[in-house]
Amino acid sequence: MKLKKLWFLALLLLITPRLMASGPTYAIVNCRVVSPPLPVIEKGVIIIRDGLIEAVGEAGKIQIPEDAEVIEAQGMIAYPGFIDAHTNLFLETTAAETPQQPPTARPPTGAVAEERSPAQPEFFVLSQIKPRQTIINSFLKVGVTTVLVAPERGIFSGQSVLLNLNGEKPEPMVVKNPVALHLQFVTARGGYPNSPMGTVAFIRQSFLDAAYYSNHLTTWKKSPRFLPRPVYNPVYEALAPFVNERKPVIITCNNQEDIKRAVRITQEFKLHAILSGANEAWRVAEELKAAKLPLLVALNFRPPATSLYSAQGEAVRRKAEQEVYPANPATLQKMGINFALTSLGLSDAATFQKNLQAAVKAGLPAEAALKALTITPAQILGVDSCLGTIEPGKIANVVLSSGDIFDAKSQVEKVWVDGKLLKIERAPEAKGPATISVAGAWKVTVSGPMGEMEMTMELEQEGNMVRGSISSSYGRWEIRDAAISGQELSFTLSVTIMGQSMDVAFSGRVEKDLIEGTLQVPGGAADFKATRIPREL
Amino acid sequence: MKKNIIISLCLFLAAVEPILAGGNLLLKNGTILTVTKGTIPKGDILILDGFIRQIGENITAPAGVKVIDVSGKYIIPGIIDSHTHIALSGTNETGNTITAEVNMRDVLHAEDTSIFTAISGGVTTIHTLHGSANPIGGQNITLKLKWGKKAEEMIFAQAWPTLKFALGENVTQANRTVVGGEERRYPASRMGVVAIIRRELQRAREYIAQWDRYNEWQRLKMLNRPLLPPRKDLQLEALADLLRGKLVARCHSYRADETIEFIQLSHEFRFRVACFEHIPEAYKIAKELAAEKIGISVFMDSWAYKVEAAEGIATMPAYCAQQGVLVSINSDSNERIRRLFNDAAKAIKYGGLPEDEALKLVTLNPAIQLGVDKWVGSLEVGKHGDIAVFNEHPLSAYTRCDLTIIEGDIYFDREAYLKERQEAQKANPKPKLSGGGQ
Repeated sequence: MKLKKLWFLALLLLITPRLMASGPTYAIVNCRVVSPPLPVIEKGVIIIRDGLIEAVGEAGKIQIPEDAEVIEAQGMIAYPGFIDAHTNLFLETTAAETPQQPPTARPPTGAVAEERSPAQPEFFVLSQIKPRQTIINSFLKVGVTTVLVAPERGIFSGQSVLLNLNGEKPEPMVVKNPVALHLQFVTARGGYPNSPMGTVAFIRQSFLDAAYYSNHLTTWKKSPRFLPRPVYNPVYEALAPFVNERKPVIITCNNQEDIKRAVRITQEFKLHAILSGANEAWRVAEELKAAKLPLLVALNFRPPATSLYSAQGEAVRRKAEQEVYPANPATLQKMGINFALTSLGLSDAATFQKNLQAAVKAGLPAEAALKALTITPAQILGVDSCLGTIEPGKIANVVLSSGDIFDAKSQVEKVWVDGKLLKIERAPEAKGPATISVAGAWKVTVSGPMGEMEMTMELEQEGNMVRGSISSSYGRWEIRDAAISGQELSFTLSVTIMGQSMDVAFSGRVEKDLIEGTLQVPGGAADFKATRIPREL
Repeated sequence: MKKNIIISLCLFLAAVEPILAGGNLLLKNGTILTVTKGTIPKGDILILDGFIRQIGENITAPAGVKVIDVSGKYIIPGIIDSHTHIALSGTNETGNTITAEVNMRDVLHAEDTSIFTAISGGVTTIHTLHGSANPIGGQNITLKLKWGKKAEEMIFAQAWPTLKFALGENVTQANRTVVGGEERRYPASRMGVVAIIRRELQRAREYIAQWDRYNEWQRLKMLNRPLLPPRKDLQLEALADLLRGKLVARCHSYRADETIEFIQLSHEFRFRVACFEHIPEAYKIAKELAAEKIGISVFMDSWAYKVEAAEGIATMPAYCAQQGVLVSINSDSNERIRRLFNDAAKAIKYGGLPEDEALKLVTLNPAIQLGVDKWVGSLEVGKHGDIAVFNEHPLSAYTRCDLTIIEGDIYFDREAYLKERQEAQKANPKPKLSGGGQ
């Protein structure tokens, strides 16, 4: 008895520290390892320990550690975790900004002066990150393990952070902070600048002033006698290193004119600029090639409002969205322009995946697409020493796919982020095609033990895929993982009430103008009833 | 069905793409209205490398040069609009009262369909400006309407850089509904407008002096203490450039009195005013304008749409031209821009201008106002091959533009365009209601 207890204690002492520190050790065996520019390993082994890749190589040549949990991956393909080098998702404000609050709850105009400021280079987006499990899960499901989260408001909108989607609180997710200053050609609400040309002038003057401030400060520090000291300015203080020390600036470009504007400003101020968005990059490929600027190309195929396609009506615009813009990455690749691919401007990870497949279909070679999601973004963001390939010593972000990851039939089976094997949640497989349409606007009544609540729901439907949102006096919540099979509808709702977030699962049945079912909330269930709101003509 | 849609889409898109001729072109057997050197009843024009090389009769085309027979048609210089706001992504920066730092060059919009509208009316060059919301607006740009080309390729680099000023009701926001409790912007009166412009020009003077002082100190290295350069201010840089003669003023103005006031301001600060815009009361100060050699860029017959426009008259453009004022007719619009030739014809009806003088209102005169008359504005050997071809006399009420040529390249060909459009319609006979149009 006594001996048994001792043995147990010894075991505890041996195992616990390692468990606490970094989780189990994994050996992924017999998979194909695809990690350009490294050669493909047809039958490989990957050892993951302490959050890092300990070893990778051909099966038989790599010793499997005794303590490793062996993952048999015969027939599967291992890729480096994808890096989405620019997204606005994961921000608290993305969800908090949209709510249609009752008019009385709106703060009086002028009370949100700091929000209106077109320049907040000193703002770090990390303070605003709110990683939601549902969004993280949706990214893991498509193979993305690392994201650059960028601030989204204002001209100088602040500094971005690179996160590993490891399921932790924001701080342990951070790979690099700050990554870059973000600059976009938007206008200020109300004040100056409220025109596109005003914005360009404002950007120029801001860089000039930051450089001037910093010059003044340096001169004063060297010899303060007979020189008035500069008035401390936090904005110029934050902005100066970007114009003086060539710290990276990511400039979002929504159309070809934006790209040319960004190139001009970059050259005028000798910035270390990275252009993002750029879904019309192929139209100014010559200029881009000459400028030699790194590119983060968004997989957003919607023609910008300035394009001739948009000016010719919805039919032409949509056609261009399906047939012209998806070829942007392929054309850039053919012209020898290096780029990373991002989800900027897309509503969710599923669209990112769909558009990625469309880009490959439009002629982007799979290997180029893979580089654009792994090693290239790692290089552009300056983290290629620890991310971007499956190499010993690098961070263990590994995706195991059932087949070629650009094939719509493949699915991501397992994902390691920072060496942690994460659980991927999936919506229940649709059993059959939808036999009814739920598209449209619905008036929703939820009745639970606490009483009744009125909401409105907007749904879109494509086959048995459903998307949409629910709005109430508490805000607007996105519907995720929604599917309809026959007349059975199910979805998950990420609800935020007074700063508290939770996931709510719905399942129920759809009639022509009626949806009835139950909402599963933590600690109970509520009745859900929706009636169709007739469309106004 | 799907294939049909694709074909029609391609045709639809192709229809608005320019047809390029490569800068070499021979137009034969047209009636040539040179504007400056009389009319050739049946003549030819040869354009090589974008320049007019020969005008006359029985010109033979060098090998490989495209020949277009324009028998029975009229050839005039490409129309020039001295004041419009098309081909831009913005018009007014209303966030401040003084916005000399903004430059319309930064917001060129090469895919603005208004460019196509304009070339369908024979317009080849435009001066596109900041709006009139501010006493000092922004820096403007002159473009050749090379539809389908990139924005930078449209810039008419030789044109004068200009700075927009504005006086009167737009600036004082006199026609705005006053919302209770909302502050009115300064300046809210005509004397305020002059005062704020004078204040800004004074600041620009001081700014120049500051830099001169700094440069002098640096040159002499006399100062035995750290020397900081003045802060570079883009707004004051623009105003300083006006005072240095590198920019010329274009001033939106309606009333005679405030126009005279602005002229006095230009004397006080020694800057050049190229043109007053709109100015329906110009006839009251025609002699002063002629003496100052300041042009006017006006509407032909549009007035009384606000109080300060009440005293406009239809004979104003013709009268002013007869008094020696350099007059141009502008569109200030993305629609009127396609029928500026109709407006020019009205100056014959109202005021009795001779045909050539009427045509000058939309060709040579605006070219002079923009500083580009050396290259465009009339049909002369050595000038750019910018040409509009009309089916009838361009001053007839029944005329229409058939061909628009810039530097020897065809950018609008009515016949080809209509054919393509018909084919597109044939391929997709029932376009969805949501399709097409803006």
